[in-house]
Amino acid sequence: MAVRAGEAAGSLGAEAATTPSLWSRMSERIGPGYLFLTPWLIGLFGLTLGPIIYSFYLSFTQFDLLTSPEWVGLDNYQRILTADPKFMASMRVTFLFVLFSVPLKLAFALAVAMLLNKGISALPMYRAIFYLPSLLGASVAIAILWRTIFSADGLINQLLWTAFGISGPSWISNPNYALWTLVVLSIWQFGSPMIIFLAGLRQIPQDMYEAASLDGASQWRQFWKITLPLLTPVVFFNVIIQTIEAFKSFTPAFIISGGQGGPINSTLFYTLYLYQEAFGFFRMGYASALAWILLAIISAFTAISFLSSRYWVHYDD
Amino acid sequence: MAYSVDRRQLLLGGSALLALGAIHPALAQEQRLRLIFWGSQARADRTYKATDLYTKANAGTTIDGEFLAWADYWPKLATQTAGGNAPDIIQMDYRYIVEYANRNAIAPLDEFVGSTLNVADFDQAQIESGKVNGKYYGVSLGANSSAMMVNKAVFDELKLPLPDAKTTWEDFAKLATEITKAGVRRGYYGASDGAEVEPFFENFLRQRGKALYTADGQIAFDATDVSDWFDMWAKLREAGAVTPPDIQQLDQNNIETSMLTQNKAAISYGHSNQLVGFQALNKDPLAITNYPRHAADSKGGHYRKPSMFFSVSGTSENKEAAARFISYFVNDQEAAKAIGIERGVPESKAVREALAPTLDDLGKAAVNYVANLGDLAGKLPPPPPNAAGEVDLALQRKAEEVAFGQQSVSDAGPAFVAEATEILKRKS
Repeated sequence: MAVRAGEAAGSLGAEAATTPSLWSRMSERIGPGYLFLTPWLIGLFGLTLGPIIYSFYLSFTQFDLLTSPEWVGLDNYQRILTADPKFMASMRVTFLFVLFSVPLKLAFALAVAMLLNKGISALPMYRAIFYLPSLLGASVAIAILWRTIFSADGLINQLLWTAFGISGPSWISNPNYALWTLVVLSIWQFGSPMIIFLAGLRQIPQDMYEAASLDGASQWRQFWKITLPLLTPVVFFNVIIQTIEAFKSFTPAFIISGGQGGPINSTLFYTLYLYQEAFGFFRMGYASALAWILLAIISAFTAISFLSSRYWVHYDD
Repeated sequence: MAYSVDRRQLLLGGSALLALGAIHPALAQEQRLRLIFWGSQARADRTYKATDLYTKANAGTTIDGEFLAWADYWPKLATQTAGGNAPDIIQMDYRYIVEYANRNAIAPLDEFVGSTLNVADFDQAQIESGKVNGKYYGVSLGANSSAMMVNKAVFDELKLPLPDAKTTWEDFAKLATEITKAGVRRGYYGASDGAEVEPFFENFLRQRGKALYTADGQIAFDATDVSDWFDMWAKLREAGAVTPPDIQQLDQNNIETSMLTQNKAAISYGHSNQLVGFQALNKDPLAITNYPRHAADSKGGHYRKPSMFFSVSGTSENKEAAARFISYFVNDQEAAKAIGIERGVPESKAVREALAPTLDDLGKAAVNYVANLGDLAGKLPPPPPNAAGEVDLALQRKAEEVAFGQQSVSDAGPAFVAEATEILKRKS
């Protein structure tokens, strides 16, 4: 394209009056590119950006789907931040979930990755087995299964009874334990951060370990001084991704609590509360405001992580 | 040898096909009506039998049906209404009919009454219940009333008398405690914990001369009523008569997960037309009965409610055809045999009489229950306000807090009243 345009310009250059304009030259160069992009651009504007902007507009309105939106200004935001006890409850539950599930999940993922890195035969098979739960874990089927396993007559209680003679409580319907079943479900999906850790471990040069053992460093010291610092970019990546996923978690909470947010709001994740407001009570405007506040929270967290990364993430130079 | 088509043949052939395609809709006389309803597979099977009968009797009209669970139905219907493509025939509930009528999401049917839509031998009260602001919006598909479902086999095994119209709360407590003590099965209790069952609470209030809501959408009970209600259930829990809270939480308010079906209690709570659904999932024979009385002379707590309506969408292009189908659904005797009493006791007197001999024992029990409520039943309350669903949820949360010991009974009363008032005040 560029060559032909250049030739055209060149051949016409002798007659200065008919030089093609900058615009037509540029559109000849990049026009086809955008033309090929059009399907994706339609999706971006129509299915992603468009609804996002509409949702922002809706967050300042009251909209029950049956009549058109009615402008209420900052009322929704004001109510959320000052006068909504359920919002505070759902924040507490969600933060607890994130605070416990993400570090435990990553610790587990790192531990298993280090085990696998020591050189096991049939490594691909183990990797696949450990990865499988993270593929299926957020699905409805697994959530239903989890609910059955952890209920009063479920597998866990049967095991506890036959092996230890303990009569376990009904884990999913007890407000003290329900959230922890969801944390365990999240930890069970450690496969995908594990794969990333495994890749990161592979990149650490072996000669560092050899040098350290020659100097007499213990395994634990080697882990703290060599492995972990060199893994910090991977840890950083996993922390951000897993935290965002944890904030967005919805399906397990919805299925295990039957859409109610568990016994006495103990599993009322933020996303579940949003869903209730939108589709249970038809308060679309309020739910849109909730969604934007969640975006603000996740953005704030991500920004803090990036700013702090300067101090603890060591990139290879 | 490859067959090749040159450009001229392709253009001529293609435009001929397109022309044929354009003529086709003009040739077709078929009218398609869309129907949406909530319910279980059992209800769907019966409904589709009835629509097939209608299609056979009215060549050229087909009915496309769709059904969902209750909780998924309302968001889907609201979304479709917002998008302007709600189905022609909509199953509607007493709780939502006012809202949908006021927003013109459903159409008034007055113009069809008497001609296309025949409701001549309906119970007048049921016709009134489908009216909003004097206009007729919903054709009642059946009458039902709230009820207790009882495991007859367990009662017979323990030689205990089944609860009936004379059973008081003390009798109920005694029966339930005895069943738990007898321990006929592992982890079996007398009754399901009913503290969070809103119709049960409503019945309790009505027997005291109160109600859930006033005609203008405020709560019609006070903190003492709530505390008394929770206190009653707390005592039943202590006596071991009802399921403990963490077992009760497994009940997700549907037939499948009810304590009765899950074999954890001998009594569960529902509506009279659900007897069919309950029995379908329970191996033991079931019986249906009313909620307990306060005393021999307390006011009627029950009421005969329109179980559900059929309405016509406000944006439907086939309103008359839809009205014709609805008239068929509630009047035709063959259709009535297919539908049975799964949606409630049919409104049309002629249909009731035609159906009576075909009912099995279970059907007869459900019909007789509704017909013979007698002084157990009072007047139909006004339609609940918009936020009634949210107040129901708040009642459930409060009941759970009391059950798990997170709030005392005496605090729960004022707390719930405050919460309910605030919910109803919220402009939404």
